[in-house]
Formats: sequence, structure tokens, C-alpha cells
Amino acid sequence: MKKTLPKYYPLIPVFAAYLIMFLIGFFVPGMWQMVALLAFYCALGQSWNIFMGMTGYVDFGYVTFIALGTYGMSLGITYCSQYEWLGIGIIVIGFILAMFLASLSALLEAFIALRLRGAYFAIACIGINEGLRYFIEGAKIWGGSEGLIYFGALVQALGRDTVNQLTSFWADFSVFIIAALAAFLNMHYMRSKIGYALTAVREDEDAAKVMGINANKYKTIAFLTSGWLGAGVGAMAWGLKLGYVYPGDVFVIHYTVECIVVVLLGGAGTLLGPVVGGLIYGLSKYWLAVIMPGFQLLIFAPIIIIIIVAAPEGVVGLLKRRLKGTRLEMFIE
Amino acid sequence: MALLKLENITKRFGGLVAVDKVSLEINEGELIGIVGPNGSGKTTLFNVISGVYTPEEGKVIFDGKDITRLPAYKRAPLGLGRTFQIPRPFSSASVRENVAIGAMFGTLADKVTVDDSLEIADRYIDLVGLEAHRDKASGDLTPVEKKLMEIARALAMRPKLLLMDEAMAGMNPKDIDDMVKFIKRIKEEEKIAIISMVEHIMRAVVGLAERVMVMNQGAKLVDAKTEEALADPRVIEVYLGQPTEQSKWRSEVWKEGKGEDE
Repeated sequence: MKKTLPKYYPLIPVFAAYLIMFLIGFFVPGMWQMVALLAFYCALGQSWNIFMGMTGYVDFGYVTFIALGTYGMSLGITYCSQYEWLGIGIIVIGFILAMFLASLSALLEAFIALRLRGAYFAIACIGINEGLRYFIEGAKIWGGSEGLIYFGALVQALGRDTVNQLTSFWADFSVFIIAALAAFLNMHYMRSKIGYALTAVREDEDAAKVMGINANKYKTIAFLTSGWLGAGVGAMAWGLKLGYVYPGDVFVIHYTVECIVVVLLGGAGTLLGPVVGGLIYGLSKYWLAVIMPGFQLLIFAPIIIIIIVAAPEGVVGLLKRRLKGTRLEMFIE
Repeated sequence: MALLKLENITKRFGGLVAVDKVSLEINEGELIGIVGPNGSGKTTLFNVISGVYTPEEGKVIFDGKDITRLPAYKRAPLGLGRTFQIPRPFSSASVRENVAIGAMFGTLADKVTVDDSLEIADRYIDLVGLEAHRDKASGDLTPVEKKLMEIARALAMRPKLLLMDEAMAGMNPKDIDDMVKFIKRIKEEEKIAIISMVEHIMRAVVGLAERVMVMNQGAKLVDAKTEEALADPRVIEVYLGQPTEQSKWRSEVWKEGKGEDE
């Protein structure tokens, strides 16, 4: 116990940040929506970072997982809400479906795209994302381009009060849980053989193979984990909370770009990075939208460029270098 | 029984025959050198043994198992370790983590935890004498230190056979002598077979291996005891070229001149 416990110290600041956010949202009136938005960005950043930080692969098609997670939840609610005896179980079924769809696409993408490196991988992922979107629209499955609207069905199955509670609290709360889970898994992977294997693969894949590392296996583990978490966020924050889904709304590369910005701001490959990045990004986006509605992107773009040029390792990367050699070092990863 | 047996290995790249029907046997605990000029197919042969390339013809049999078509990552757990011509450290990771990666995925892969591997790593870091650099990023080491780290990493895999690709290239004579002694020592202490590849540092070959295989243009030229092999006229020809009329005349003039001096 003595030996393994200190290994997880870097989780303390991450969990502390999530806890503080949660408490502010819970007890300060009117803050819940903003805190939920921040948690959304933190969770997505953290989930995306598991794969990107550990393997060095930039997954531009990450939004596929979020979208499929949303669809999983939507399908679960749409098709199971008629069975009254299922009750709240339809959410569970939706969540399981979300995980199933994410696994399917992760394995397929791992099989096709993980053989590619660098820019080719990024493009292949975008291709898969766009392909899926047009497939759903063109083949008219799952409601085609008109999407699925199931808020009414949800209300009918569970009652208005329960649905109100689910969408206004539990959906956001589960995003917090997913964010924390993502941080824990990331830390756990970093400290286990998976982390060592992926460090080797990231630095020199061919040398890693000669050292006995099954590169594809470990990359797939990280990819699958990252995909599950993303799908979880999609299922809860979009699928359950909004009560509808359109392919044109969810298969949007813009969300992947937001993940990337969050992670790069905070520090790619670090544990605390996505939290810091998510807070900076979420807060400034929220704030700019309030003080200058319509102009937020115009102002935001240069801010991001400046931060990335000034601190290419992100805020946490800088912090890590500052704290090197001090007693606080072991808390930052 | 031989630990490693190569049977008529042929590897082609397009029209180029990089390795041409090479057969070789190595016993457990044996230390042999592979010698040959640049482009003679040594590195390609190493890559065939370690699984980077699949040969067009021939078989690689390791420890009684046919591994000709086995992917590289499945060979390491069987007991095949290697170092590279140009060191390939996992640069961002520390020396300790690098060596631990060797322990984690080598022959002990199923038996050790991360903590065990780090302990094993410490032992081999001490063995190669890098204890002062344990927590340094491996990318910041000097070239010689990187070579030592690679050896530690390969040894931490606990291999039965270690392939050393140009362990002594670019070193000064003193470092070469130290390295020769060191390689002999680890062979005794770890009880492993070693194939060491040397391009042209004969000083190293003579001191190191009891047996050498000389390669030229992809084919095996000589496989014999070191002294015999290096005295073989064919080997001398490969390295120094055939005597021409001019060179004969020159050496005669030189001899005559020397005679006059005395």
C-alpha cells in the first residue's frame, strides 16, 4: 500500500477542482448551468486526452464517439419507452447502447485508421465521421436527417417530475462522474504497463515492437477507453439532457476542435491539463458570449493563438516545469 | 541443440539481394561476431532475426521454434533482445523507465509488475554504470551513454540471445576496449548468447569473439574461429581489395626504400 499510494497523488488536485466546481454549482443559485458547461468541456478534454496524450495520435474524428453515444441514448429511449415496466431502466439501456455503438466504431476505426500515422490518421478519422453522418442521413436509418425527437416519449414513460430532475440535475451530474472517471483511468493507465508501452510506442513504434510491445493492442485499449468516455458524455449531456438528436447537430468537427483547444490550452498529455483548459475555455467562452454576444469567436481565436505560442506545453506544462524539484511536484502530472 | 538456427535466409528488396542464402547456428552461451564491410547485409540479417523483415526464403528457428513469420513483438518474450546501430531510446522517458520497459515486455512479461520492473531496471542500470543518470531523460544522454542504456534495456528483457548492432561504432580505442571487456562480462554473468555486429573495427572483433562470420555482398564468406577467419585471404580481399600491379609495385618500392634505410 505504501508503495502504490503516492502514485495516485496527482489525482488530488483534479478531484479537488471537480468537487469545488460541483459544490459551487450545487449551492450557489443560478450557477448550475455554467458549472455543467465547464464540466462538459473538462470531461471531453480529459477523455480525448487519454488517447492523444498517451499515443500522440490526434483524433480529429473524436466527435463520432460523442455523436454515437447520443444516438445510443436516443435509440434506447425512443424504442424502449413504450415498455412501461422498464421505468428508469430505459436510461440504462440507452447507456449500454451508447457504449456498444462506441465500441463498435472504436474497433472498426482502430482496425482501419490506427495503422496510419500522423496526418493520415487524422484525415481518416474525419472521413469516418463524415461518412457516418451521411450514411445516417442517406440511408434514412435512425430517423435519417430529421433525427429523433423523444422528449415527449421520455415524459410519458417516466413522468414530468422525474424527467425534469433527470435533465436538469442527473444528466449534468453524470458528466462530472465521467470526468472524474476519465481522470482516474488516465492516471491508472499512466502508472501501469499500458502507459509504459504507449510511451515507447509514441517515441519509437518500431523499436517498441522489437522490445516486445504489441503496439496495436495498447493503442486500441487507449482508443476504446477514450471512445467509451466520449460516448458517455454524449449520451448524458446531449442524449438525455436535450431529448432530441439530429445528425447535422452531433457529427460536427467543431466539437473535436473544442476538445483539442481545451487540451492544448491546459497541456497535452498531462492529467490536470484538461481541467485547467476546460475551465479557461469554458469560462472565457461563457463570459465573452455575455459581454460581446456574436463577437466571441473573433476575440477568442487570437487569445488561443497567443496562449499556444507563448506556452506550447500548456498552462500545466509550464506549471510542471516551475514546480520541478519542489515538494509540490508529485501532485502535478 | 542450437539456440538460433538460420537456414538459407534470403531477403530481397526489389532486385537487390540484401541477404543471400545465409545459414548460421549459434549455441547457448556463445559469443559470435558478424563482420563485413558496409552494405554486406549484416543489418538486414539482424532485422530478419528480430522480426522487422520477413525473409523471402529460408527459416529462422529460435529455441526449437520456427519464428520466421512471427511478428517482432512476439519474439521478445521468447528471449530475443537487441540493440540498435543508432541508439533508439524512448527519449521523453527517463533512463529508469526505458530499462523498465525492457523488463516489462521481455521474457518476464507475464510475471512482473511495474514495480518489479523498476527494481530490475535499477539492477541493470547499476550493471552498465549509469546510476548517476537514473532519472535523467534518456534523450539527454551522450551517445555512449545511450548505447549503454540500450544494453541495459535489452538485458532487462532477460533474453537468451542478445543481438548487438554495432555496439562500438564511433567510440575511441579506450572505450572500445572497455566495451569489449564489458560485453564478455555480461555474457558470463547473464549466461546469454550474443551476436555482435562489427563493421570494421578489427581491434574489437579480435578481442571479443571466439568465432566470427564474415559477410560480403549479402552472402556468407567465412564462418570460422576469429584468428583463422581474419587471416583468410578472401577476408583480406574484401576489406583491402585485390592487389593491383600498381600496388604491388608500390609495396616493392616501399620495401626497397626501407631496406636502404637500414
